[in-house]
Amino acid sequence: MPKKELKKMKIDEITQYFMNKTTKQNMKLIRAIGHLIIEDFEEFEKDLKYVIETKKEEEIKRAFESKIWKSKMMFSKADRVLVFNRINKIRDFGEILARKMLLYRVVFPDEQFKNDIKEILELLKTVLLDLASAVKSIGKDLEHSYEVSQKIKNEHLKLRNKAWELLSKLYNYEMDFLSRTFLYLKDLIEGIVILADVAENFAGYLQFLATKYLIFE
Amino acid sequence: MELTSILVIILVIMGITLAFSIGANDETLSALVGANITKFKIALIIGGIATGAGMIFLSGGVGKMVGENILGEGIEYTTFMLLSVLISSIIWLIIGSFSGIPLSSTHSTIGSIFGVILVFSLFQGDVDPTTALNYEILSSVVISWFLSPIFGFLFTYLLFKIISKFFLSRLKGMNQIEKSEKSFSWLLLIAVIFAEIWVGANSAECIGIFHALWSNGSLTLIEKDFFVVICGIFVFLGIFIAGRYVIKNLASQMTDARPCEGFIIQISSSIILMICTLLSLPISHSHVIVFCILGLNLAQKREIDYRSLGKMAIYWVLTFFIAGILGGMIYMGFLSVSLI
Repeated sequence: MPKKELKKMKIDEITQYFMNKTTKQNMKLIRAIGHLIIEDFEEFEKDLKYVIETKKEEEIKRAFESKIWKSKMMFSKADRVLVFNRINKIRDFGEILARKMLLYRVVFPDEQFKNDIKEILELLKTVLLDLASAVKSIGKDLEHSYEVSQKIKNEHLKLRNKAWELLSKLYNYEMDFLSRTFLYLKDLIEGIVILADVAENFAGYLQFLATKYLIFE
Repeated sequence: MELTSILVIILVIMGITLAFSIGANDETLSALVGANITKFKIALIIGGIATGAGMIFLSGGVGKMVGENILGEGIEYTTFMLLSVLISSIIWLIIGSFSGIPLSSTHSTIGSIFGVILVFSLFQGDVDPTTALNYEILSSVVISWFLSPIFGFLFTYLLFKIISKFFLSRLKGMNQIEKSEKSFSWLLLIAVIFAEIWVGANSAECIGIFHALWSNGSLTLIEKDFFVVICGIFVFLGIFIAGRYVIKNLASQMTDARPCEGFIIQISSSIILMICTLLSLPISHSHVIVFCILGLNLAQKREIDYRSLGKMAIYWVLTFFIAGILGGMIYMGFLSVSLI
């Protein structure tokens, strides 16, 4: 999107745009891990580089900041800044995970492990897509945003449990890994969990917002 | 210069200073400033003009009630009585301020009048205490102190329920809410101006002094009106010069408050204040506001600190009696040193 168009957008539209952009990046991240599982390293690197190299967010941030401080919003200004910052936080964690993953080309121990990772990735995908939907709703329907956030919390819990199982499996394999492989897989699982944690925390904040704004219900 | 003339000058200065302090302690504008509707200085100017105008043009009834009608037939204030009333209410209000208890200057003034007149009737004027004051008016004033907060509470509660049911609860998203709050901010501006007018009009403790000085012949009608205008100007200056600190401080705690809530509180309290002013009843604006906030909190099912409220209510009731005792003692002091 050209700069001019970005400048014409309203605060809510810029927030949505940033959220969509972040979600798209994180979907690429999930896809990259999918490529890693099938050992398609070329596509894996291509997707991760997309996550890391996107420069658009600086422009989006500048457009948002210049709009928000000039706006004559009565009282939702601070909350909107916090929502934007939380989107940025998700983006940052996605980028950190992508950078870590580029450090080494891992080969997964077995099919079961691959399937387990796929399962966790599916849950992460649901969490992140739901989060995008929840953020999208704050402008028009906070109630919906609240409900979706609740769903995110439930999915996050499933993801966490699955991740603990997988970590325990990793530590208790009968065969010995290369230490690099072990560390990489451990970091990968933990990175996914952290990303899901940040998303869950964001969902909690959206629920707080809904409660705060829908006090008259 | 005669002692009486010196005392009249002192009373006039005290009356004008009181007008300044009414402005300096006025917190009505904080809702407007907290919602960031206008620039701070513009809010101060608007509020100051409204309060000053209310005091100049609409305070006659309340002023007459405090400065004349509350007394029994044939009784009028002497300069020492007025001085005792003022000193006693100032002392009690200062005690209240240092103890962190919000006290009403209106209650304090009326209580002091009660004490001073009672001492006068018992020890000096040879007047029957049962006729020294117009108890019909005094009781209606005291009743209005209880009724005005209760009506403020009920009015706010109902107004909130109605606006909430038919409008606020139908707003679903942040954009809609933001838009509606923007509209409410303009209504809040109108409500605050309206409230300030009636705050000025109900400033009994200040206008009452000038009315009393006029009714006992210390001031001519033109002089009285002139000083009322001066009071109007000083209430403006009080808000503009000193009130800004109270307003800024309270406004900084209100950044999360919604203009619709501010509007409901301000419009409810100002309607109560208007009715009482039109009935020439001096009431406490802050007491009404506290109960309006209480009504809103209850309507929103928010937590209420009943302990602090109970403590406040005790002091509200005590104010009348303590100010009365203080006023009586001070007047007695003047009597004992044979100044009168």
